Amino acid sequence: MILTVPFMARAMAELALLALICGPVGVFVFARRLSFVSDALTHTVFPGVVIGFLAGGVEGLVVGALVAGLLTAVVLTLLTRGGALSDDASTAVVLTAMFSIGVVLVSRQSSYTSDLTSFLFGRLLTVTPRQIAETAVLAAVILVMLAIAARPLLFRTFDPAAAAAAGYRTFWLDLWLNVIVALVVVAAVRAVGTILVVALLIIPAAAARLITARLAAMAVIGTVLILLAGYGGLWISWTASVDYGISLTSASAVVLLLVLAYLLLLPLGRLSTVRRSSLSHRGTPPAPKGSPHELVG
Amino acid sequence: MVLRFADTSVGYHGVAVLTHVDLSLEAGQCLALAGPNGAGKSTLIKAVLGLTEVLAGTAEVFGRTPARSREQCGYVPQVGDLDPDFPVTAAQVVLMGRYRRIGWWRPTRATDRRAVTEALDRVGLADEAGRRFGLLSGGQRQRVLLARALAAEPELLLLDEPFNGVDVVSQEAILSVLRELTRSGTALLLSTHDLALARDVADLVCLINGRQWAFGPPGEVLTADQLRSAYGGHAIDLADGRTVLVEP
Repeated sequence: MILTVPFMARAMAELALLALICGPVGVFVFARRLSFVSDALTHTVFPGVVIGFLAGGVEGLVVGALVAGLLTAVVLTLLTRGGALSDDASTAVVLTAMFSIGVVLVSRQSSYTSDLTSFLFGRLLTVTPRQIAETAVLAAVILVMLAIAARPLLFRTFDPAAAAAAGYRTFWLDLWLNVIVALVVVAAVRAVGTILVVALLIIPAAAARLITARLAAMAVIGTVLILLAGYGGLWISWTASVDYGISLTSASAVVLLLVLAYLLLLPLGRLSTVRRSSLSHRGTPPAPKGSPHELVG
Repeated sequence: MVLRFADTSVGYHGVAVLTHVDLSLEAGQCLALAGPNGAGKSTLIKAVLGLTEVLAGTAEVFGRTPARSREQCGYVPQVGDLDPDFPVTAAQVVLMGRYRRIGWWRPTRATDRRAVTEALDRVGLADEAGRRFGLLSGGQRQRVLLARALAAEPELLLLDEPFNGVDVVSQEAILSVLRELTRSGTALLLSTHDLALARDVADLVCLINGRQWAFGPPGEVLTADQLRSAYGGHAIDLADGRTVLVEP
């Protein structure tokens, strides 16, 4: 059992907390088609992380990430205002500009390579109890924020015009969700780095969608997938380094396992798409309840 | 008075899309907005909901500014605008109509679930409650959206092209619900480019195309002269008294 090793147990605890938030938040990111926006967020948090680290060391890192994350959430909400998520170009400009600033800042450090690596890919195996406690607090805040606004967010995601007609302010709901995503990035940044966070947010929900069309089930399956991939990734990186002397970044192993899960589930999703389109081609009404299609789709 | 527009211009970002709107609507009446595509029908509906700017004139909904009367209004959007892949069931969609009553984080109550079942029953889709929205036919989806608006128990119901791409069965189901609603005192405002349908269902017709061309009972508004001016000279009178529009 790798979890009897204290630092492995801490890594798993951190991953479990991240699984708890990334499963449900990922469902909204996926349904809202915010993958690119979240990707942008993970990149724009990077200079904040660097500045925070330069100013206050490892402890300053979270503060820097928090400020940069919240700032980006506001900017991206303004940029994509009015439901125009097609504003890819401006999002991409913000993303690359912020990322470059981060790289410029970090390249002034003498420990350039090792710092850059840890900011980008995290240090899962050196997670401290204090970090776990901080992640737990952030996780609680994120889940409460999500629970408060889950219904309006769902309504706005599905039918923005009707949600606005019902009196919901879409701008504030968009900002709310972007802030939630920013907080997820902040919570995950030290353990898995700015680049790999996006994998935890997007892949589990996308994979879950392949086997279910129920929102709650998607959230649960997403969380379970991260837990499984988390344990599997830790085990693989442990075995690789202890038994075979191959150094393997644990966070990358976790992400690769998530990708593998997605690829394995892909045929199931294809199957339901093919069934659906063959149904519509024949012009028949949707399959009756309990049909194979209903089970997969 | 449910609706009162007096020489109103509406639009977005200061640019008028529709001008010179003069209309009124009482409880229990059905008003059809007729006009070609791009005439400003959806814009006028959004103006009633307070989602577009009133640039000139007066716009009153239940005697107040539009944005202040949203709780009394129900809205049925065009079904084609919604993502059929979205993972929600018909019942979940209808429950959205109750969200404002339930509040942000309170759990759903028995009354809300009952309202959902009743609304689905009224549109004839009680058996499809658990089915995914995207797997329903276009007409059934439109009925689910109608059920969602009904679940909010509105006093004014706004429908944007409710018969677009809808099969005969669903059209009949929707029409019968609309008749029940007007009988019970609900006011209706629906947009359509189907003039025959407007003539059949509406007490009042508002003919628009960039501006309002006519407002009144169908018999007075849907005449060849009025249609010719609104549509730009493509209306022809038939011998039996009907009017047809010919594509240019």
